[in-house]
This record gives sequence, C-alpha cells and structure tokens, in this order.
Amino acid sequence: MTDIPEGKDETLGDVLRQRGISRRSFLKFCATTASMMALPPSMIPTIAHALERAKKPSVIWLSFQECTGCTESLTRAHSVTIENLIFDSISLDYHHTLQAASGHAAEEARMAAMEENYGKYLLVVDGSIPLGNPGYSTIAGISNYDMLMETAKGAAAIISVGTCAAYGGIPHAKPNPTGAVSVGEIIKDKPIINVPGCPPIPVVITGVLTHFLTFGTIPELDHIGRPKVFYGQSIHDRCYRRTFYDKGQFAETFDDEGARKGWCLYKLGCKGPTTYNACATTKWNNGTSFPIESGHPCLGCSEPEFWDGGGFYKALSMPTEDISKTVIYTAAGAVAAGVAIGAIQKGRKNSAVASHSKTTIDDLEK
Amino acid sequence: MSASLEKGINVLKEQVDSTVAAFFSSCVHCGMCTDACLFYTETGDPSKTPILKAEPLRRIWKSEYTLSGRIAKLFGLGKKVDEKLLTDWETLVYDSCTLCGRCSMVCPVGNDITLLIRKTREGMAAAGHAPEGLIAATKRSVTIGSPMGVKLPALQAQIRHVEKDTGLTIPVDVEGADYMLLLSSMEIMHFPEFIGAVAKIFNKAGVTWTLSSEAFEATNSGIQIGVSDIAAELVQRTVDAAEKLKVKTVISPECGHAYMAIRWDGPNLVGKSFNFKVRHILEVLDELRQQGRLKTSSMDTQKLTYHDPCQISRRGGVINEPRNLIGMFAENFVEMSDRGKMNWCCGAGGGVSSNERADEIRLKVFQRKKDQLDEIKPDAIISACSNCRLHLEEGLEEYGMDIPLLSLTEILAEHLED
Repeated sequence: MTDIPEGKDETLGDVLRQRGISRRSFLKFCATTASMMALPPSMIPTIAHALERAKKPSVIWLSFQECTGCTESLTRAHSVTIENLIFDSISLDYHHTLQAASGHAAEEARMAAMEENYGKYLLVVDGSIPLGNPGYSTIAGISNYDMLMETAKGAAAIISVGTCAAYGGIPHAKPNPTGAVSVGEIIKDKPIINVPGCPPIPVVITGVLTHFLTFGTIPELDHIGRPKVFYGQSIHDRCYRRTFYDKGQFAETFDDEGARKGWCLYKLGCKGPTTYNACATTKWNNGTSFPIESGHPCLGCSEPEFWDGGGFYKALSMPTEDISKTVIYTAAGAVAAGVAIGAIQKGRKNSAVASHSKTTIDDLEK
Repeated sequence: MSASLEKGINVLKEQVDSTVAAFFSSCVHCGMCTDACLFYTETGDPSKTPILKAEPLRRIWKSEYTLSGRIAKLFGLGKKVDEKLLTDWETLVYDSCTLCGRCSMVCPVGNDITLLIRKTREGMAAAGHAPEGLIAATKRSVTIGSPMGVKLPALQAQIRHVEKDTGLTIPVDVEGADYMLLLSSMEIMHFPEFIGAVAKIFNKAGVTWTLSSEAFEATNSGIQIGVSDIAAELVQRTVDAAEKLKVKTVISPECGHAYMAIRWDGPNLVGKSFNFKVRHILEVLDELRQQGRLKTSSMDTQKLTYHDPCQISRRGGVINEPRNLIGMFAENFVEMSDRGKMNWCCGAGGGVSSNERADEIRLKVFQRKKDQLDEIKPDAIISACSNCRLHLEEGLEEYGMDIPLLSLTEILAEHLED
C-alpha cells in the first residue's frame, strides 16, 4: 500500500493480473460498477479498457479531525475483493494510518508526490478542519488548514470522505468547540465530491475512483455534492420494511410484538425518510445487511447536521429542540393577532349585516 | 323596485364568512372543477369554469377581507364589482349553473364551490341581476304560495280526481298525523298520480298522514334565486303548518331543491331547529320496506335505470334508498356510468328551468345525459324529482329519443301487493 517506486509505471491491468484476478472477474467488476453507477451496458468495455490502461493515479490522503473510522471502513474487507485491489492499485503516496514512513520522511513523501503529479493527483480528505484555533489539530507542526490549502492547490479533484470532511460531522456538532468546518467550506476552486457517511460505504469510493479513471471526470452530483448514483434515493424508499410503513404497522418499542415481527422503525426514530444513501441496496459487510435489517433505526449519518438532527430515537415528526417556550410565545402572539384581525373583519361584516335591509319580492328589480 | 349595486355589494359582504375565506384562499387554480361541470364539457367554453362563476363574491372577499386586497383598494387598484361585472356574470351564475354540486365533489382542496355560487346569487339578486323568469316565480311563491301560481282550489280539484280514481281519501289538515306530505306545484299540475301513489302505499303500510291546506308547496324559489330572506319566509310557512298540525315528520316529495331547502337549509334559514323530522319520500318508503310494511307482488322485466337527482343524491345523501326500493320490483336494473354522488345533472335544476333565457343552453347540455343513456339504452328511466323528469322528457324529445320517464313512488305503488 505504501509507495512502491518501481511500480509507478504499472497499469491497473498489470497489477490485477499479477494478483491473479481473472479477466472474467475483472469484466464482472466493470459490469457491476457500470450498473451501480447507472451507466448503459455499452459503457462496460469502455470502463474495462480505461481501467486496464490506467496508470496508477497518485492519491494523497489527509486525515484531520477524524476517528479513522472511514479508513477502517474502506480497508476492512473480509475477503480480497476487486474493490480492495483497486485501492491497492492506486499509488497511495501519503496516508497517516497506512503509510510505513513516519516523521520527516512521511512529509517528504507528500511533498514529492505533489511535485511529481502536480495538477493530476487526487486528494482524499477525511475529518473536519478546525478554524476556531488551528492548534486544535496539527500534523508535523502544520495546521490542518495550512496543509489542506497547500495540498489542494495541485489536486485534480478532492474527495471528501466521511461526514466530517463533507459536512463537518461530529466535530461540527453543537457547540462545535473547535470551529470545525467541512472541506467544501474552505476550498471553492476545485471539484469536490462528497462521500458522506459515518463511515461511508467502501464501494462508493471505488465507484467514484472508477468513474474518474474511466472518464477523467467526476460523476453527477446532487445539491450537496454527493454522487447521485449512490445518494439519489432515500433509505426509506429502498427499505425492505417500507411495506409496513405504508400499512401503518410500527414497532413502538425495541422489544414489542411489532419489533419482533420486523415492522417499521419510524416511531423509534428512524431517519430513513430523510436520509439519502445506498445502504439499503449495497448493504454492509460484503452485502450482509444494513442497520435497519439488524433492527436498529437509521441514524441519518450521511446527511449534514446529522448529529444535531434531534435524538436518534425521536421520531422524525417530533420537534428536535425544546421549543415549548417559542411555541407558547408564537401561539400567544398569533392568537392576539388573530383576535385583533378577527375583530376588524367581524366589524366589517357586522356593519354589512347592520346595513342589511330585508330583501322582499319588491326588491328584486331595479 | 329598489335593487341596487350598493345593496348587492353589501349583501356579498354579508355572505363572506370563515368558510368562504377558507375556500377562496385555498383554491389552487387547478381547474379540476371545470371538467366536472356539464356546462363546460358540453360547450367547451372555459368561462363556464365553476369557481369562476363565484368571481363577484371572490372580489368582495379579496378587497374587503384580505390585507393585500385592502391595500390595493386604498390605491384604487384591484378588481372591482360593478354593474358591468354583474351583467356579464348573470348568465354564468343563473343560466350556466344548476347548483348540482358536482364541482364540489372533485375539488382537491375540498372547496364547496357550489356554496360559493349559491352565495354569489345572493348578491346578484339584491343588485337586481336575477333572471326575469326566476323573479316572476319567486313573486308567485310569496304572493300566491306556489312558483307556478297553484292555489288551494286547484289542489282541491286534483285531490277530488285522485280520490275518484283510487277510491281512497286524501287526508287534509288532519291534526296529529305521523307524516305531513309536501307537494311540488309540478306534481300537483303535471303528475297528480304521485298523490294517489303515496295514498295507496301509506294506506297499505298503515301510515297516518296529511296534507296541509296552508302549506302544501314544497318548492322554495328563494333558494333558487338566492334570497335567504324570502327562502326563510317560505320555510317558515311549512314550519308553522307542521307545528299547527303537530306532525312528527314532514315529507319532502319528489323534488330536488325542495328537499335541500327544507331539510338542510331550513333550520339555518329560520334560525332554530325544527321540532319535527324532515325526510325525503324515498327515505320514508325505504324505512317502511325495512320494517316489512311494503310488499311487492309483481316484477318489471324492462331494462330500467335510475337518474339521481342532484339535490337528493349528491347533496342530500339519499343514494341507497332508491336502489333498495327499485330492487323490490326491477328484474333488469342497470346503472349509468356516473351515478349516485357523481351523477350528471339533467341540466335544469337550481332554477334553470324557471329561466326562459336558459332554454337553449339547458337543452344543449342535455347531450351529457344523452351520452350516458346511449351507453346503456334503457327501456325506461326512473327518477325522484319532477323537475328532472320534465326536463328529461323535454331533452329526450329534443334529441329524438323515445324513453319513458317514471316516478319511483308511482311505479312502486303499481307493483304493490294487493
């Protein structure tokens, strides 16, 4: 995984063949990727061709205010998959957790990769950036902000991995002591792909990488920068428990009859209806399951502000904050205004009623 | 001779209440009411859009009761209600609307558009923009007691004929009877057989009933022209008679708007609840059927269908009763494509039949009923409203169709066990 200088000129195809991946499995991967990304089948050969010949792209991975959960997610596979190998096949020139080098050598590797691939390397960021006080998080004495600005300058594109890098995530949660912000709030002049999730689904990363290697462009993104192919549908719309929701069958507690029967977890706080991610279709742990399948409501981890979006176990229709006072004041104000307006309206109507003269049959013609 | 624009505007102001405000502010201009209206479907004229017919009332609501409208009015802007508007709207409000209520059924936000048009008529009438024919009918209702000018001696003459034909006594002014039957002038003049049919059925079922010599007229022109003051006066006559004869139930006859006027609008018009019940004749007959007091002995093999009178079925909710009763004698009953609460109006309700100016359009929109009938080709049509019946007959003749019209009460009486 670390920088192997002699492998630099190898293509992805070479690496895969060396690892004993058959052409059949390779094409299967291309087909799966194409279908996952909603590309027409005619694109499969294009993907295969592009990946075959792709030079291992240089990737610099910066970790800021994060928990390494995203790296864990992306590297933790129970069997060797092509997704992993694609990862193995990129030239991951800098990654705190994974690189062998440390200290000055590590920083030198980053500088060298930047210089060598200026304008072409991919920058992956996980973790948020503290703007409150740069001292909250530094690497080799360099603040996260400075390192991001320096590294982003020569990047072809930036992938914000995880909700922290994409939207600020947990460090950004109230009261946000470090003044944490997302990558997108700092960098405005580079294409940024947000791959949120706490952690994100590994296949989304490889999908984005494949797209980049095949077309040299980034996939279509939604209004908050997420690839539409993976984040286009809500968990709720794709949830296998949706039929229970439609029928109004809900688990009321975690140990009631409804919970045992696998009914909808909406009332237990499921954020599925407002969360856009691919969990319900691609699932986790090599397609084993996803949280709702294990009986737990969706937390909505791929959405901005997910940590401040109300209690995890509060149903979506409940207010997220203590708003009783606001409600009372607003209601009181509205009632007062309503009474006042009502009185005025009533006055208008009463004067009309008062000036009513009984209509008789003699009053029907002019 | 004192109708004036000023009076009309004042009446429209009076008509605006929370219901009206809620309806106008929630209209999303989707136009779904358009396709529900036979005056649009048969003419293709978009000015027949139901909600548009309430435009005078909408303008008053907007300019008097909304902030933006009041500001606009302050600056002399906004759309005004003037003589021209009311003149232009006369034919939309009176000739091209039978208050059938079909538009209210399809409104996705639940606006009772029919109510808005009915309220618009209040202002139109007070401003002197009601049609001549309706004004004349209303005058006759108030002065003579019947829109067709039927006086008590005419009824008494018909009663004598019926008594001779049936051999039964028609009770008049019998105190303490269970039921007091109202009649529409049309029944008295055109279909006196109805009186005989009721007498026969009630005699068989052992029901005590009576007519009132003081208030036999069921119709209410005040409702049709849109003058609540007059409508209330006419309802009061029935209330007084029913209280005088101490009856338990007043029966509305085979007439659409009469039922709506006495049962649903009545208590609101006179401002108090009645101390007697009001039922439609079909409700009473179905109740007798349920109690086993009605038995038929012969079946009708003709292909029969039922035309739902709007005010009885859609606005009145009497939908299953006629079908239960028809089931007692019809072997071959077929329904029209749109029926029950979604039936199509005959085209002459809501005062349109009293308005000669609307003769042409009411026969034109009859095309809708014709299409419905062409689909099932019945041998005869049963209905429960004399006004529908007369207009259906006229429409069928106009379109060269030969299908007889039957009164449900009359045909039921014919099939009764001897």
